Amino acid sequence: MIKKFFDWLKQPLGLIAAGIVFLAVFSAFAYWLYTTQQAPAQPVPGFPHKTHVAFGIQCLYCHPGASKGPAAGIPSQSKCWGCHNQIVKTRDSALLAPLKDAVLNGESLVWVPVAIVPDFVQFNHRAHIAAGKNCEDCHGDVSQMGIYQNPQVFNMGWCLNCHVETAGEDQELLIKLSDCGTCHY
Amino acid sequence: MSEQFSRRDFLKLAGVGAATTAILTGCGPASRYVKREPYQQMPEYNSVGQSTYYATTCRECAAGCGLVVRTYQGRALKVEGNASHPLNLGKTCARGQATLQGLYNPNRIQGPIKHVRGDRLYDSFSNPFLDDINNAPANMTWDEAIQVVADALKNYKPNEIAFLMGMAPDHLFDLVTDLAKATGMNAPLRFGALSMFEARATLSKAVENLFGQPGLPFFDVGAAQTVFSFGANFLETWLSPVSYTRGFAGLREAETKMRGKFVQFETRMSSTGAKADHWVPLRPGTEGLVALAIGKLVSEMRGGAIPRAFSGVNPAEAAETAGVELVALENLAGMFATSNVLAIPGGAALGQSNGLEIAEAILALNALSDNFGQPGGVYLSPLAPDQTEYSRPASAEEMRTFVEKMAGGAIKVLFVHGVNPVFELPKSLGFEVALTSVEQVISFATFPDDTATGADYVFPDHHSFESWGYQRIATGTSQPVLSGAQPVVTPFFDTRSTADVLIAAAGLAGGKFASALPFADEVEFLQAKVGALLSQAGGSFDAPDAATFMAYFQQYGGWFRNADARITPDGSGVLNSNLSGSVAEFSGEGEFFLVPFVSPTLAEAGANKPWLQELPDPTTTVMWNTWIEINPETAHELGIENDDVVKVVSELGEVQAYAYLYPAIRPDAVAIPFGQGHKAYGRYAESRGANPADLLAAHFNKAGDLAFGGMKVKLEKVSSAERGVGLSRMESRMGVYGESMGEEH
Repeated sequence: MIKKFFDWLKQPLGLIAAGIVFLAVFSAFAYWLYTTQQAPAQPVPGFPHKTHVAFGIQCLYCHPGASKGPAAGIPSQSKCWGCHNQIVKTRDSALLAPLKDAVLNGESLVWVPVAIVPDFVQFNHRAHIAAGKNCEDCHGDVSQMGIYQNPQVFNMGWCLNCHVETAGEDQELLIKLSDCGTCHY
Repeated sequence: MSEQFSRRDFLKLAGVGAATTAILTGCGPASRYVKREPYQQMPEYNSVGQSTYYATTCRECAAGCGLVVRTYQGRALKVEGNASHPLNLGKTCARGQATLQGLYNPNRIQGPIKHVRGDRLYDSFSNPFLDDINNAPANMTWDEAIQVVADALKNYKPNEIAFLMGMAPDHLFDLVTDLAKATGMNAPLRFGALSMFEARATLSKAVENLFGQPGLPFFDVGAAQTVFSFGANFLETWLSPVSYTRGFAGLREAETKMRGKFVQFETRMSSTGAKADHWVPLRPGTEGLVALAIGKLVSEMRGGAIPRAFSGVNPAEAAETAGVELVALENLAGMFATSNVLAIPGGAALGQSNGLEIAEAILALNALSDNFGQPGGVYLSPLAPDQTEYSRPASAEEMRTFVEKMAGGAIKVLFVHGVNPVFELPKSLGFEVALTSVEQVISFATFPDDTATGADYVFPDHHSFESWGYQRIATGTSQPVLSGAQPVVTPFFDTRSTADVLIAAAGLAGGKFASALPFADEVEFLQAKVGALLSQAGGSFDAPDAATFMAYFQQYGGWFRNADARITPDGSGVLNSNLSGSVAEFSGEGEFFLVPFVSPTLAEAGANKPWLQELPDPTTTVMWNTWIEINPETAHELGIENDDVVKVVSELGEVQAYAYLYPAIRPDAVAIPFGQGHKAYGRYAESRGANPADLLAAHFNKAGDLAFGGMKVKLEKVSSAERGVGLSRMESRMGVYGESMGEEH
């Protein structure tokens, strides 16, 4: 029976049918692939990092946890509103309506962090800042970004590459920085 | 390969399939996105990205271990022990760790509910992975709820109002006690299944009979040379398991002293017994007899007169009755005679009709080591800093009296907090039936438990991580400890502290109710109670004023007096006391002794936490279910195999569960863990396993504790194991006793 099927596939009609099926599967797959690569929706659409940087606000002003511990943290909305409330243009801006609503109604803004690593990686910002790394070394040129996008995939090869470069000729440091237990414990 | 489908075709199709799978699975997002909800208003002592730690007290059992909970952005993330807490010195048990799953439990009651008795409080069939949890919605405001409580207090005579409470927290018990004293209400009763299985009333009565003062004994396992434990499961749930586990580590420590020895006498091997050097399986109810026999043999070996306490027993007969070899007892007596032995009477030994005599006989053994008030010996636990006398929870017999009052209509309003008596009390006491005779039942349950289902109103209290409070440490440390509790997170739901509800309702009810609780709220009440310690010297901290004292009390997780305040019992008359080697009476017609034991992982209230359900039982590695332990020899005679469904029939009822062939149980006994078999209590607990309390008859020992070990039961095989159905175990049993190896076991 299967031989019959293969024979039919070799006929013109069969070839056309196979082509249609292939196209249908391929486009469904392409669409699905496209959806997996979309950035998640954020509570303040189009949040402009670049505007904040352009005003000279330091990264650590909103994300102070980076210099102190594992997570950089997301600022509380009272911190956002502390400034935006003072600026006439932003106080009543439609773009900032989600923030204003949240503050006035006592609800939370729910953000979706995108610079994340899996749970089995024990990443700590503090050690990297203490080693003299700057935010943009990993997070790219945020002064040109709206909603934040990762400049590269945060995978293990990328991490290790930098760890090995940092160690240079120092064999002891290389062992420390390339040990599994440094990040996976 | 058939003619139509060649090998080549197969390989082609397989290749295409594998390639498609590889492509499809490789293209997902690198990591699943999570959501993060920052603070709306960040407290000023917080810092973005930094965790904040709060000291509080564990409420998963009544031991009262100190905890430090890590919170991040207002969410509790991890539980650790409080290193400066004298009871647990920074350690916790699995149940303490799982407190978080109570806090985040999907079936918590989310607001005040007026409820039709028997109606479901949640829909157990909703999908746990979707948001539609379908809990019963709150259908009244807290103002209405407080009015209901106030009306209940005001419209009934004080002696028609009763409070039934759990073993924790103590501050609420104090508040209700104050209210009851001032208004003439029934004094609140406290009960817990753990205290029933620990036979606390028997322990305290035996101590009173032998030493002349009641109290909870403290066994200094850590400094002992040898421990003879009679059914004490002190590494599992007994009295204060974290503290006793530390003591056990001290016993076994062998660098600075000889490694201590440990002998366990019990009918089925508990996970504590699994750690013993010698495990002695006794027939239930003969522990006292064996203790006296050992006492007599030791006295004979040491020479001199036989003390009066041990003179009445015949070791050969005792060994015969207990079902052990005389030579085994003689060997143990030899070990005893050359060592300092600490003898511990555990709950499994005391839950017998002769439990009080057993407790006295075992405690009396300590007189041979003369270890009363000595390191490695028996003390009485120190009283908490604000306590003047020992108070124990209600015994099962006292609970029966209470249930009879309920059934007779003497109790018209019942408030229930912190305990789930429909599940925890043996069915034979008739609590569930008596509940229907009570005009108004108000439950303060945090979870939709079996008792809340029978209530008219459910006014949910906060979870312990959202609550204020304190707990007196009943035993487990040499220092008097008042352990402090504070909220580590703001309440997730529209719940309200029961203390606040009662204070507000008493204010509404007016008169002597209002004057009994002249506080604005729970915190003011706490300050009034805890502030009384400010003037006491010798504590873990001093403070210049009440506000600073409260701040330190929260920061350190309680107030501890520095001195060793263990009480040395007066054991001078013990060897001359009259001890009887009576044999327990058993009820029921079956041929097997029933040994109900508390599940070391679930205990009485852990079944709604998946971490604990998933945690394998230490001895059997069974998860998520109830099993019946049967000796393989017995099972073979009855034609029972592993995972067969077996019915256990007592004079009162029957339960069904899967058979577990357990070599470490006497062939004349079967054992069932207590902890499963809920009829409600959330999606993880409901309709899972069976509750052995349904089998227990209302027989009591002389101290009023339930003789839960005094049942004889019949075993009936219901159906054979089906392929793929049965107990989930962490360990495969393949090869164990020849199973699955094509041979008979």
